[in-house]
Amino acid sequence: MAFDPKFIRNFSIIAHIDHGKSTLADQLLLQSGAITNREFREQLLDDMDLERERGITIKARAVAINYVLDGQTYELNLIDTPGHVDFHYEVSRSLAACEGAILLVDATQGVQAQTVANAFLAVGGDLAIVPVLNKIDMQASRPEEVKEEILTSLGIDPSEVLAVSAKTGLGVPDVFRAIIERVPAPAGDPKAPLRALIFDSKFDDYQGVVTYVRVVDGVLRRGQKIRLMAGETEYEVTGLGRFRPREVPCDELGVGQVGYVVANIKKLSDVNIGDTITQVPGPAQVALPGYQEPVPVVFCGLFPATHNQFDDLRTALQKLSLNDSSFSFEPETSDALGFGFRCGFLGMLHMEIVQQRLERESNLSLVQTAPNVTYEILTVKGETLHISNPTRIPDPGLIEEFREPIARVNFIVPTDGIGAIMQLCEDRRGIYLKTEYLSTTRAILTYELPLAEMIYDLYDKLKSATRGYGTMDYEVIGYRAGDLCRLDILVAGQKVDALSTVVHRAHADRRGRKLVKKLRGEIERHQFEVAIQAAIGSRVIARETISALRKNVTAKCYGGDISRKRKLLEKQKEGKKRMKQVGNVEISQEAFLSVLDDSED
Amino acid sequence: MTEAISAASTAEPAWQWPRAAYVHVPFCAHKCGYCDFASVAGFDHLADRYLAALDREMADHLGHPREVDTIFVGGGTPTRLAARQLSELTRILGRWLIPAPGAEWTVEANPGTLDDEKAEILAAAGVDRISLGAQSFRPESLKVLEREHGRPEVEKAVAIVRDRFPRWSLDLIFGVPGSSSADWERDLEIALEFGPSHLSCYGLVYEKGTRLWQGRERGEVLPLDEEVERAMYEHTIDRLARAGLSMYEISNFAVPGHESRHNLVYWANEAYFGFGVGAARYERGVRTVNTRDLNAYLRRIESGQPATGPTEELDAEARARETAVLMLRRIAIGLDRGDFRLRTGFDIDDLAGAAIGRYRDLGYLIDDGPRLRLGREGIFLADGILADFL
Repeated sequence: MAFDPKFIRNFSIIAHIDHGKSTLADQLLLQSGAITNREFREQLLDDMDLERERGITIKARAVAINYVLDGQTYELNLIDTPGHVDFHYEVSRSLAACEGAILLVDATQGVQAQTVANAFLAVGGDLAIVPVLNKIDMQASRPEEVKEEILTSLGIDPSEVLAVSAKTGLGVPDVFRAIIERVPAPAGDPKAPLRALIFDSKFDDYQGVVTYVRVVDGVLRRGQKIRLMAGETEYEVTGLGRFRPREVPCDELGVGQVGYVVANIKKLSDVNIGDTITQVPGPAQVALPGYQEPVPVVFCGLFPATHNQFDDLRTALQKLSLNDSSFSFEPETSDALGFGFRCGFLGMLHMEIVQQRLERESNLSLVQTAPNVTYEILTVKGETLHISNPTRIPDPGLIEEFREPIARVNFIVPTDGIGAIMQLCEDRRGIYLKTEYLSTTRAILTYELPLAEMIYDLYDKLKSATRGYGTMDYEVIGYRAGDLCRLDILVAGQKVDALSTVVHRAHADRRGRKLVKKLRGEIERHQFEVAIQAAIGSRVIARETISALRKNVTAKCYGGDISRKRKLLEKQKEGKKRMKQVGNVEISQEAFLSVLDDSED
Repeated sequence: MTEAISAASTAEPAWQWPRAAYVHVPFCAHKCGYCDFASVAGFDHLADRYLAALDREMADHLGHPREVDTIFVGGGTPTRLAARQLSELTRILGRWLIPAPGAEWTVEANPGTLDDEKAEILAAAGVDRISLGAQSFRPESLKVLEREHGRPEVEKAVAIVRDRFPRWSLDLIFGVPGSSSADWERDLEIALEFGPSHLSCYGLVYEKGTRLWQGRERGEVLPLDEEVERAMYEHTIDRLARAGLSMYEISNFAVPGHESRHNLVYWANEAYFGFGVGAARYERGVRTVNTRDLNAYLRRIESGQPATGPTEELDAEARARETAVLMLRRIAIGLDRGDFRLRTGFDIDDLAGAAIGRYRDLGYLIDDGPRLRLGREGIFLADGILADFL
């Protein structure tokens, strides 16, 4: 028998990175008896090394907790959310599976960009908010000020704010009470056709795809035939259960309940986050709202550093995509880099994570091209093209309108950092929207920025401009026409396709000069002179020359020198191996990466 | 048992079992600013102990006298030893090394440390080749190099050497900071006037850790422009060719028949013994180097321990590749495909076919069928080319 929805509470914890979300989650498990003290270890919910290192929960999970309050047993489902800007949509789907959210704010650091972004998502989803200050036991905590910030930024009454130490467990019983008292019980029709929201999925080597679901209407049973409404595919439920926090199988999930479904689904890409599961026969007519196709926004080319590793790279990407269906990859051929893949990511952090995993798990050495966004091009013939690879951008004469994605960006910064951030945004073609003061010392600054201007290093620049205190959040809001052009790089007269980038025309000369200068420093001298040029169409806008190597010979090589000299030459040769051949010119991986580095020198 | 080993060993080819011996004498009057050899100044009082240690090391390592085709006594400054000590050194070498008929025995000497008496001792012992470190005749260059002699000392040394030894060589350095092409050309002319049958001309190397290197790091020493260095090198090759000294290795020039046979052992990647502080040896494919610390060397040898430090043994392919790199330093003979196959068991075209093709097309390598050698432009860019054989 399904549990009475009256006694079910579904909630998430939303927080900025490092504000203690995982620790609070563990503490809730501990105090409800779901885990023992021995098992209470940090970041129990994070099971990937990479996440642990970064302190970011990337993949959502759901844990069912039983908690007794005033003699009544409640089923509390804690649905974990990804904590980073790149995973907006994933966060919104996790929140859609909840009726409430704990808004966790570090009492020493105060409100941060993701605090606000996620809180707005929760409020927008009609969730009950349980505001909680964490790290209240720390010397540096300033609860009154932070409550003030919460009031200013989110309009939450300071009297509603709880105070805890997730580390010591102080104040946590109040959190349980608040969840039960403030978060509404799930509403749904147990007699209606099944509708369950898929809010996450993962790949398991033994079971195939495991989907995480929240039942909204009806009952989900083992053995039942189901249909994914957006995917238009049908499966049979072979396994059903919940995490407490370990997997515990069950026969059915009723209204409001949260759990996992195994249904012999082979590929992660067969399941879309946000899709609705219904029953067959007698399916629901209307899917749950809010479903979107996952759309990568940042792209780059990934090529094996040694040309014969293309198949290895493909295998590695396929393996990785089993666990992360949100990045895309398709084969790409580059004159300079050979065979590789054009990969799409949800954002810069996502890109970095995928690359690190690739290198770590597959032992491949990769050459990465400059990240870019998807451009929308209206041709003179009236076609609209979406292009995520700069080399495919048509010649200037064929373009009627060149459009680029625009993001709305919120920065939360100390007030003394406002000037620096404004300068940063002006330099990047930002459009100022507004400033809101959280307190006398901190403000929210809102800009519209071309996404392309953000993806290299805006986050790093923000951090250095605010001595680490600034945070940001963004959302892509659409395309806008810009005076853009493709900037090509020619090495020894040959266009290096992998180095083509899209730039704003007003910045083209400066950028072109900088690129060729940078490349001149990165490309080693050859046995012949090497010209490096930057060009828009056929017009060369900058040129540098690398003079030929004239003398490079070891003078002395006698008995005692042989090993040492050989090792020096071997090192030289090793370095060459990792280089890419463009005509007769060898270009290092660093040279390709230098195109990304926007630092002034 | 040693006899049995010896019999087996001498039957092995020269790239396996040494027919050459290097002996190091570390003592110097003064450490030059560019020098990174195992050399010491102010430790002459240890010379007698050092000679005894050399004797002990050779005894422990060799067990009984060995026949060799070449002996090279280098330094440091071997002729820094007193006449008596030099005499003792020749006795020690005579005890353990038997020069084969027609063997070459070279001793390095510094102008200013060689006198008639020492020269007599060496000649009488059978030394038939002297390598004189002149480096330059230009006072400013000698000062930069921190050499403590001048042209008169070289003249004197040449006079001493010329009539006593059938072969002798001068060492010169080009590319000294502050020198011009004209300066170097003058140095080369002076050297030629002495009439050596062998010249070693080295482009100056800033070896890590030397005073010259430190000076460059600090910006106090300004290296010559690469173009000037190249011009100096080109002039050297052409001028010496006109003088009948042909370039037989990247830095070595000789009247045909006067090449250093000992050094040719290195460039054929053949085996050699090595004795003394910092000395390297290569026996049966194993390279070892003695400690460069004089006191440590003495202590270890005196207590019956070997003085060896790092050991390196390459697999067959790596050894073959190393052999190719060394052989290609030999400008005139280069690498003979058949000889290479015999010595290494590998076909050079299997190991480096792509590089050979590429550099042949560029003219950096000359391939006459049986033989590969560096072309003229290839000489100037040798490191990049040779690296592709590894």
